[in-house]
Amino acid sequence: MELSDANLQTLTEYLKKTLDPDPAIRRPAEKFLESVEGSQNYPLLLLTLLEKSQENVIKVCASVTFKNYIKRNWRIVEDEPNKICESDRIAIKANIVPLMLSSPEQIQKQLSDAISIIGREDFPQKWPDLLTEMVNRFQSGDFHVINGVLRTAHSLFKRYRHEFKSNELWTEIKLVLDAFALPLTNLFKATIELCSTHANDASALKVLFSSLVLIAKLFYSLNFQDLPEFFEDNMETWMTNFHTLLTLDNKLLQTDDEEEAGLLELLKSQICDNAALYAQKYDEEFQPYLPRFVTAIWNLLVTTGQEVKYDLLVSNAIQFLASVCERPHYKHLFEDQNTLTSICEKVIVPNMEFRAADEEAFEDNSEEYIRRDLEGSDIDTRRRAACDLVRGLCKFFEGPVTGIFSGYVNSMLQEYAKNPSVNWKHKDAAIYLVTSLASKAQTQKHGITKANELVNLTEFFVNHILPDLKSPSVNEFPVLKADGIKYIMIFRSQVPKEQLLLSIPLLINHLQAESIVVHTYAAHALERLFTVRGTNNTILITAAEMAPFVEVLLTNLFKALTLPGSSENEYIMKAIMRSFSLLQESIIPYIPSVITQLTQKLLAVSKVKNRLSGPILFVGIFLLISYNCSVIISFPEFIPYVFQVMSLLLEMHKNEIPSSYMALFPHLLQPVLWERTGNIPPLVRLLQAYLERGANTIASAAADKIPGLLGVFQKLIASKANDHQGFYLLNSIIEHMPPESVDQYRKQIFILLFQRLQNSKTTKFIKSFLVFINLYCIKYGALALQEIFDSIQPKMFGMVLEKIIIPEIQKVSGQVEKKICAVGITKILTECPPMMDTEYTKLWTPLLQALIGLFELPEDDTIPDEEHFIDIEDTPGYQTAFSQLAFAGKKEHDPVGQMVNNPRIHLAQSLHKLSTACPGRVPSMLSTSLNAEALQYLQGYLQAASVTLL
Amino acid sequence: KMSTNENANAAAARLNRFKNKGKDTTEMRRRRIEVNVELRKAKKDDQMLKRRNVSTLPDDATSPLQENRNNQVTAHWSVEEIVKGVNSNNMELQLQATQAARKLLSREKQPPIDNIIQAGLIPKFVSFLGRADCSPIQFESAWALTNIASGTSEQTKAVVDGGAIPAFISLLASPHTHISEQAVWALGNIAGDGSMYRDLVIKFGAIEPLLTLLAVPDLSSLASGYLRNVTWTLSNLCRNKNPAPPIEAIEQILPTLVRLLHHDDREVLADTCWAISYLTDGSNDRIEVVVKTGLVPQLVKLLGCSELPIVTPSLRAIGNIVTGTDEQTQIVIDSGALSVFPSLLSHHKNNIQKEAAWTMSNITAGRQDQIQRVVDHGLVPYLIGILRKGDFKSQKEAVWAVTNYTSGGTIDQVVYLVQAGVVEPLLNLLSAKDSKTVLVILDAISNIFLAAEKINETEKLCLMIEECGGLDKIEALQSHENEQVYKASSTLIEKYFSAEEEEDQNVVPESTAASYTFQIQGNTPNTFNF
Repeated sequence: MELSDANLQTLTEYLKKTLDPDPAIRRPAEKFLESVEGSQNYPLLLLTLLEKSQENVIKVCASVTFKNYIKRNWRIVEDEPNKICESDRIAIKANIVPLMLSSPEQIQKQLSDAISIIGREDFPQKWPDLLTEMVNRFQSGDFHVINGVLRTAHSLFKRYRHEFKSNELWTEIKLVLDAFALPLTNLFKATIELCSTHANDASALKVLFSSLVLIAKLFYSLNFQDLPEFFEDNMETWMTNFHTLLTLDNKLLQTDDEEEAGLLELLKSQICDNAALYAQKYDEEFQPYLPRFVTAIWNLLVTTGQEVKYDLLVSNAIQFLASVCERPHYKHLFEDQNTLTSICEKVIVPNMEFRAADEEAFEDNSEEYIRRDLEGSDIDTRRRAACDLVRGLCKFFEGPVTGIFSGYVNSMLQEYAKNPSVNWKHKDAAIYLVTSLASKAQTQKHGITKANELVNLTEFFVNHILPDLKSPSVNEFPVLKADGIKYIMIFRSQVPKEQLLLSIPLLINHLQAESIVVHTYAAHALERLFTVRGTNNTILITAAEMAPFVEVLLTNLFKALTLPGSSENEYIMKAIMRSFSLLQESIIPYIPSVITQLTQKLLAVSKVKNRLSGPILFVGIFLLISYNCSVIISFPEFIPYVFQVMSLLLEMHKNEIPSSYMALFPHLLQPVLWERTGNIPPLVRLLQAYLERGANTIASAAADKIPGLLGVFQKLIASKANDHQGFYLLNSIIEHMPPESVDQYRKQIFILLFQRLQNSKTTKFIKSFLVFINLYCIKYGALALQEIFDSIQPKMFGMVLEKIIIPEIQKVSGQVEKKICAVGITKILTECPPMMDTEYTKLWTPLLQALIGLFELPEDDTIPDEEHFIDIEDTPGYQTAFSQLAFAGKKEHDPVGQMVNNPRIHLAQSLHKLSTACPGRVPSMLSTSLNAEALQYLQGYLQAASVTLL
Repeated sequence: KMSTNENANAAAARLNRFKNKGKDTTEMRRRRIEVNVELRKAKKDDQMLKRRNVSTLPDDATSPLQENRNNQVTAHWSVEEIVKGVNSNNMELQLQATQAARKLLSREKQPPIDNIIQAGLIPKFVSFLGRADCSPIQFESAWALTNIASGTSEQTKAVVDGGAIPAFISLLASPHTHISEQAVWALGNIAGDGSMYRDLVIKFGAIEPLLTLLAVPDLSSLASGYLRNVTWTLSNLCRNKNPAPPIEAIEQILPTLVRLLHHDDREVLADTCWAISYLTDGSNDRIEVVVKTGLVPQLVKLLGCSELPIVTPSLRAIGNIVTGTDEQTQIVIDSGALSVFPSLLSHHKNNIQKEAAWTMSNITAGRQDQIQRVVDHGLVPYLIGILRKGDFKSQKEAVWAVTNYTSGGTIDQVVYLVQAGVVEPLLNLLSAKDSKTVLVILDAISNIFLAAEKINETEKLCLMIEECGGLDKIEALQSHENEQVYKASSTLIEKYFSAEEEEDQNVVPESTAASYTFQIQGNTPNTFNF
């Protein structure tokens, strides 16, 4: 493409078309541009247009097109053609900086971006004069130009903040410092001077301060990797001026906007970052300046207002103080009682106050409020920063700080007492203060785990928390109610049990509060309280202790789901589940009403009319799931709890499965349910409950669903994370289903398992696999196992024995699991003729030796290197891991049970039986290759069983 | 054979495979400053590269001249006057002019080195070095040249270009000790300029006559200033890398260094330790040359003295040696070095703490029995102390020490580390403004998790991390600008703090809306082989 007017004209037309809303016009134009962008001069034509076009819209469009072109094409990828010809590259680099600087802001931004993309590839080696060209502009005195340069420099240098140290990087930084540091320093000084000469000119100040913000950012980037010699030598200039700027205020720079931070705030915020950088990394050199910054930043905090626009500045500033006050050598800056008092009074307390914005969120955006307050997504908030400062100060001054705050807490409580309805926010701050002061370590699972011993948590609880919750009106002062409930929740491991028991009816009562935050907190607090474990690791609050409250608890929990805004409240659902799990049988009397409510609730949500009413359990749920799958999608968090409720109820059934449950069964196999990881454990448990109670019914009435059931098994077995769940299911199928019902699928089951064994075996998989094949052997016999293996591939049985069972059996863990394996292997040894008279015979003694090893040797817990990234959920095996998870309940199940009491004796007896069948064989196999130690053990078993081998 | 012993061996084999996760120890060992570019000012603790002789006391004992008498005469000569005097044919005048030049060059502030060079005086001064008939002019010119050579590289170059090296080497054998001492000093300045001149000095044969100066039965018989100068010059001959000094030269110097290391003068000891620190700052075979002289125990003894000027270089030397092989490291350990580390790791000088922590990082990069020695000497709490409240550079090194420890340590060792309280201070440092440090910490966390998994304590570790606010920090790092950092933090979160899964695509079933299809996929292997 030539640089001709005709081409410029053509390009203009096409650019214009790319802005057309009609895709029929727009798309071909975009296609055309794409097709010509490989031509020489194309980028230069764009540059010409963005500079000289008559129409502003074309200028902007050309600049955006140019930037995107650079983004796509500038980088030279090895082994790929160079997409921009060399002369174009040179021309672009020669013209782009002046062009950028002389363009209006809209275009300047695009070109500045383009420069940094080019710079990332070419700077410094292939663009040696870029820096000089930029630095020369500092002298122009035109701050539009200067800001353009600064912005470009910032985008070029900001990577120094996160890249790793390397020779290449540091060489570049050194080059930049040599060319840039001095001019930048001079510009900094000059700009500050101009600020005082133009102190009364608002528009000039705006431009100058945006330069200062950029200069402060550049300072951060250039000083990030290490303290450059230049900046160490010029620390006085920079730090003195930064310090002055921190203390500066100018009415003209104040903005009316309450939300958006202004230039002054941005600048001060960046200066706090710069000071924090020096304090952290260059402490030795920065020490002389630090006290001044501490004072300035603290004065800044004292004088900064409550508006949201100051939030970032305030939290940065507080974080600076927090990081400094924990350093031993700066202790002295804070230790004076007056200083501490003043920090507490003027910095911490004001920033802990409940603001109008918090109040708004509490009322209108409770979800966000809860997320921040309860789940700790408050990293950048003032309250969080103030809390961090309290913790920092407590490292050295726990006593004095606690003392000072006690005074504040008392006076705030007195204020509140004078006139609660006006002064309730004082009490809120008091509770917040006590909480932040007392909490030293906290987790979601256990609440506060370490507390400040100087704070009497129980006393505060009795005197100030309980009275609020005892008040007859649950809707009065909702914020204080929420505070009180939260207090119980987070200090649940600290407050004595009798106090917790006292609070339970109060919490149940608050499930009825109108405020979403309050009833949510009440549900959450109950749920958490029910998980607290006492000294001997048993649940602290027992079902017996809960007995008087069961009815009102369940009633209020379900009522809470009907409160406006809480129909899908996950905290309440969790509390329901947790209550079921804790109360077990004692809920049975309430089941009918509970289920009716649950059903109604589900129906209400899905807006499906209740077609079947009456006491039939779960009809509602069946209908919902079968009629409208979208229910599941509309509140996915809810589903696992439903399954858990169902499993619990199903397990309580003593007899055959009710037909109503059977109607639901097919729906439980739907893939949509299994895609969510959280659903898998409760669903597997539910299917296990079905198999335990209703295997025969499934085999007779729902045989066509068996492939779907096995499909779930296949889905689970494919996953390294969930394969043990697949085995739980498979074990239940093998244990409970009538053999003939699964006969046709057995081979396929094993092929799938062998595929995993071949392609992606893990230790966890092998452990589960071993338990499964031995269970299979117990159920179907050793010969059946051998036959099915060998029908898949000749000599497969021998290979599995040799490569998997013998070397890996030592890894099986768990009492029941080991027992299953012992009995299974005993069967292979003694009830499998091919082991005696085929080439498998050579494996007989090694297998026996492995079995004795399983009895006598410590468990082998080695895991190969590459597997350290696979999630291992406790010890998978036969028993469902679910009982080891949050909701305890399922008793350990032993499928071998009474059949074999002592597997060692069982082995001895079985060997004896075998030896009577073929006299002489067994002793001779033992004597030829069994290791002496093992032989000794074996003789012990024989003796204990009072048998001898013939 | 069936015995529990075999099982134990298998466990060891596993640990060996686990150890360092495929990195070999050489990769974990970090040599001193691999980056050649420095942004910082030159370090203040370093030994002087070049020194100017400014001893101008009127009654200077080393001066053979009755300077008092001449002081007035030669004190304030201009450069022109000096040039005139030097170029005259009058020996006395030449001497006076040379002395005047020496005085100018010895003044405290702004000696006119360049003026003297530009006046073309160097060749003359060099020629005076050979005037054995007039020892005072030999002395004065040697002193003047010494001070010129103490300047910039350009200035040193002028002296070398003037042919001073062989002339000074000849002077080493001067019967006048103050002259040979000045020659020693001058050669020290020239060698201190860098590898090139160092090797030039060596090539001209300086080492043998230098060592001869110390070939006396008892070093105490030498004047202490004299001995110090020779030691300093020897140390400069050992100094600088790229390239390091020729190995033969080192082998020649080392026996003398070993002798000096037992001398009782603190400056001699300090400079000897510097020399050893330079010699050990290199590849393992360089370290071997030093270690096999058997000097490590004496070096460790000096490490334990309380003199900062000696401790600084001996710590550097020890630190360098443990960058070597496991065997070289073992010699340091066997010499009792670890018992000095409690005081070094809590030293009031930041730089000592930093070097000590760096040294620890290379010991913990070693064998498990070496890590055990670190544990047995009670050093873990000190490392944690640095993580907690050391200055940033020391913290960085302590982070490396901890990460190497977690990477190579046994489960018990890692458990001990966690019990000693490493988690909280380590995770606090995730807010460090240095991407590499952050990444190294994430590596340590991942190693600790691997150990926790093996003893089923993953959940407890998760709680510990959450309790100390570490989880918030790791989560925040998922939006870090540095790709490796965000990947590492995301991996940790995915693995330990959320449930993610990995599926075998050959096994995953097809599905319909109603159910999964139980079937074997097409690409089943023809034969299974486990």
